[in-house]
Amino acid sequence: MQPERLEKIDQLFQSALDLAPEQRPGFLDQGCASDQELRHEVESLLAAHAQAGNFIEDSASEVAAQFLAESSNEFSLVGRSIGQYKIVARIGAGGMGEVYLATDKMGRKVALKLLTARLINDEQGVARFMREAQAVLTLNHPNIVTVYDIGRADATHYIASELIEGQSLRERLKLQGEIKVAEALEIAIQISSALAAAHQTGIIHRDIKPENIMLRPDGYVKVVDFGIAKLMEGQKPTAVATDVTTKVMVKTAEGLAIGTVHYMSPEQARGLPVDVRTDTWSLGVIIYEMIAGRRPFDGETVADVLNSLIERQPPPLFRFSADVPETLEWIVNKALRKEKGERYQTAAELLTDLKELRRRLEFAAEQERTGSAERGGVSQVATKGERRTFGSAEPVADRTADSGPHTTSSAEYIVNEIKRHKRASLIAFMAILMVSAVGAYLYFSKTNDTTISSIAVLPFTNASADQNMEYLSDGLSENLINALSQLPILKVIARSSTFRYKGKEVDPQEVARALGVQTILTGRVEQRGENLVVSAELMDARDGTQVWGEQYSRKAGDIQALQEEMAHTISEKLRLRLTGAQERQLTKHATQSPQAYQLYMKGRYHALKLTRAETDKGINYFQQAIEIDPNYALAFVGLALAYLPMALTSGVPSWEVVPKAKAAALRAIEIDETLAEGHATLGSTSFWYDWDWQASEKQCLRALELNPNSAGGRFSYAHLLSNTGRHEQALAEIKLSRELDPLSLLTNALEGQILFFAGKYDEALDHLQKTIDLDPNFWLSHLVISRVYSEIGMHAEAIAAAKKAGELSGNSQSNAYRAYALAKAGKTDEARAVLDELLKLSAERYVPPYNFAIVYNALGESGKALDYLEKGYEQKDVRMVFLKVEPIWNSLRSEPRFLDLMKRMRLE
Amino acid sequence: MSASKQDEVTQLLVRWSEGDTGAIEKLTPLVYDELRRLAHKYIKREREGHTLQTTALVHEAYVRLVEQKSVHWQNRAHFFAVSAKVMRRILVDYARKSGSAKRGGGAQKVTLDEGAIISRGRASELVALDEALQGLGEIHPRRSKVVELRYFGGMNNREAAEVLKISEASIERDWRFAKAWLYRELQQQ
Repeated sequence: MQPERLEKIDQLFQSALDLAPEQRPGFLDQGCASDQELRHEVESLLAAHAQAGNFIEDSASEVAAQFLAESSNEFSLVGRSIGQYKIVARIGAGGMGEVYLATDKMGRKVALKLLTARLINDEQGVARFMREAQAVLTLNHPNIVTVYDIGRADATHYIASELIEGQSLRERLKLQGEIKVAEALEIAIQISSALAAAHQTGIIHRDIKPENIMLRPDGYVKVVDFGIAKLMEGQKPTAVATDVTTKVMVKTAEGLAIGTVHYMSPEQARGLPVDVRTDTWSLGVIIYEMIAGRRPFDGETVADVLNSLIERQPPPLFRFSADVPETLEWIVNKALRKEKGERYQTAAELLTDLKELRRRLEFAAEQERTGSAERGGVSQVATKGERRTFGSAEPVADRTADSGPHTTSSAEYIVNEIKRHKRASLIAFMAILMVSAVGAYLYFSKTNDTTISSIAVLPFTNASADQNMEYLSDGLSENLINALSQLPILKVIARSSTFRYKGKEVDPQEVARALGVQTILTGRVEQRGENLVVSAELMDARDGTQVWGEQYSRKAGDIQALQEEMAHTISEKLRLRLTGAQERQLTKHATQSPQAYQLYMKGRYHALKLTRAETDKGINYFQQAIEIDPNYALAFVGLALAYLPMALTSGVPSWEVVPKAKAAALRAIEIDETLAEGHATLGSTSFWYDWDWQASEKQCLRALELNPNSAGGRFSYAHLLSNTGRHEQALAEIKLSRELDPLSLLTNALEGQILFFAGKYDEALDHLQKTIDLDPNFWLSHLVISRVYSEIGMHAEAIAAAKKAGELSGNSQSNAYRAYALAKAGKTDEARAVLDELLKLSAERYVPPYNFAIVYNALGESGKALDYLEKGYEQKDVRMVFLKVEPIWNSLRSEPRFLDLMKRMRLE
Repeated sequence: MSASKQDEVTQLLVRWSEGDTGAIEKLTPLVYDELRRLAHKYIKREREGHTLQTTALVHEAYVRLVEQKSVHWQNRAHFFAVSAKVMRRILVDYARKSGSAKRGGGAQKVTLDEGAIISRGRASELVALDEALQGLGEIHPRRSKVVELRYFGGMNNREAAEVLKISEASIERDWRFAKAWLYRELQQQ
């Protein structure tokens, strides 16, 4: 209708209304003249007015309050139009705003995302977003949701994109917990394919998380919200300026925004600039979560999660899923390197590795099928070229970019997204700001208010004239280490590393760097008359400031109480938030008897010297401690740990000592099931003596569950994994072990051995050489490096190294390896001479049969070698655990007697 | 209420009163959130049997959302205008929903409070009214606005005149035309 026409109608209507009804026809005759349509229009309005009565006179607003109170829904736009789009239904909300099902002018269904008012009030942010969005429009990839249109209608900014039927990965994880390896790999491949394509055009996603991954029923995976997170990044933290608000925001954010925090890369969490490597990190987190059914970095609060992702290594994946391929473990580890320089540098690299893994798994599955078909006598060879998901017979098309056409055009779907409260978007945004702020605070703050997450306790100095008091200074330090390592939130360097600084003048800050910790505890113990004077100092190595210092004067009998008091104070000074259970753990009296406590410390002091005579002394002290307090669980562990190495390093038959070690360990956990080191020790005896790999694994895992800081648990577990052929997992585990115990010679030598058994000879050499540099007097490093040299044909070096090991240890094992190296070098006569020495020695004392087997095998006498291995089996020689992985036995692997042996040892 | 939200709302009100029509799109969800939050709080606090007064709610929201120092009546009027818009959407959405729910759900009615009942008929009437009002807005936006302010916002002519910056007499004229026009539209359906 023309405005003039409307005005005319209005004018006539208003004027007529002011007249008495009987005057109106005359007025209209005049006003409308011959325009019948106009007259009809005005008359009908007048009639309507007359009939309308109270129509809309009573305001409807009063009832609205009731609706408001009852409404749980969002402000609805349903039925309205935004630009060319008609909104049909609200289907969800994300961090950026509401998502609606809408139709465009062609009637095509789209997902319409409207940006929240809060976000669009930042003009600069919007401008930046629009620029980025234009780039996203150009992305054309089957695993990236197609964006049709980005624009604004009036004040509303919107993004219209492909509508996806299916569920988000988040929903899937909620329903299912974890996802099978084959499917997880498929999903990861499609995501990395999407990322690789986006990165190539310079677009970083910045917010890769399960909520942004859509799984279509046809198997396609679609990544949504590319580049959108950048809009949030530009927001300034004006709304969270005050302290009080800050706290509230963090608290509020726990439930709502924490999902986002879990997938942040360390640099993102710290508020540093991000690049494509932030996306590969997030994908690493997702792969981990799919396999493990839990996130790699978790915590009760946002700060805990941040701390975890910046500082901690997640537990290896195979802990959660037995069938996780080692390569996948390796891939995830690489994606989750804290240093972005060590991570996958591009998503394309990650994609290549994932695809290679899939190819290998498929190949293996194919082999298995073909193999079993052949064995079954049925000619049922799988069709070549047909893609299959491994472990399932269902054919699946390769859904990534490089595999031909895809079917996005028929995209008429209903998005099934998590319904979230509208406020969540604002809070999520606040939380992002907070997270960055907290991250920056945690890592750049130089104040002592910061939570400290790592510590090394250096051996306390014995300042008494009496050298016999050394057990006290050593013991107090070790017990503090043990007590503090019970706190899973704290990384505590193990004793064998910190004790390398014993008696040395050191610069604490340098030590902190070498051990990778933030704080260093030093102390001294001095006897003054009746009393022990203990002083301790806690230093923040990052800036060299003293966090805490204290001097205590106590009776020797009160030393246990003092240790507990100190552990408690230190945890306070480190600003650790302890749970009630952790608090109790710290102050749990290991024994009620001060005397037993001192005997225990004496026992440790001697047993750790590892020579036969000192070990015997140590055992004696433990036994005395146990006599006084038969429920002193730690003393039993001490006893077990004194017995076990005797079978490994000295010429003591295993049957004489290992059962004692096992009994002591069993007793320890009978008294206190929560004692991690008790389980670790039991895991060790099951491994070396019972050859019960499953029982051993169970005990190691229990130890690590009780105390992730348990150096013993990690060490035993790594050894078990390596010897049973799970090399990659073993390497992952030994690396974790090394973090807690970086300077331990044993741990480092074991890592060399694991690398050797994994066939990584170069790395093994490198690592063992470093271990020898650390301390040239540790026999095991030389022994293992001798093995590596032999395998790579460096015979002279192999012989020299074995000789060195023999000089340092005096044990028969070194001689056996020397004979082996000699025989391999073609010096058969010299090898025979060593054999003669060993035979002579065996007349005087016990020589483990395994060592004879090595020499005979090297001399080509396989029959005798097998005889000795059989003896080793009968005598439960601990060295038999190397049968599966030691290359020495490769020449016997097809021998029926050897195979039978392997079978009996459950090592096939 | 955080200072920044007050700032934001006040700024938007000023911008709207200065003719920035986009401002109201940003204001509406803010006001809606606050109204709903207040209503929920009120319901929680009060025992059953109390009537929730829309005007009381709007006043409280106004006090909380708008920085009082720098306000003049204009802002207040505009705030109430936004509230009217919000009320309209709430009512229409609710009516739409209850209307469609009713179709399968028998003759139950939505009880609001004494004397204010949206029956199935009333619900569809509201939806139709909203649509007719949209139609009116296309040919005469000001008249549709007057209806929104009076009917959905509960304003009197004086208040509506403040918002629209026209005389009360014009408001009255707009009102009676719109009322007749809308009534006729609904009758014709």
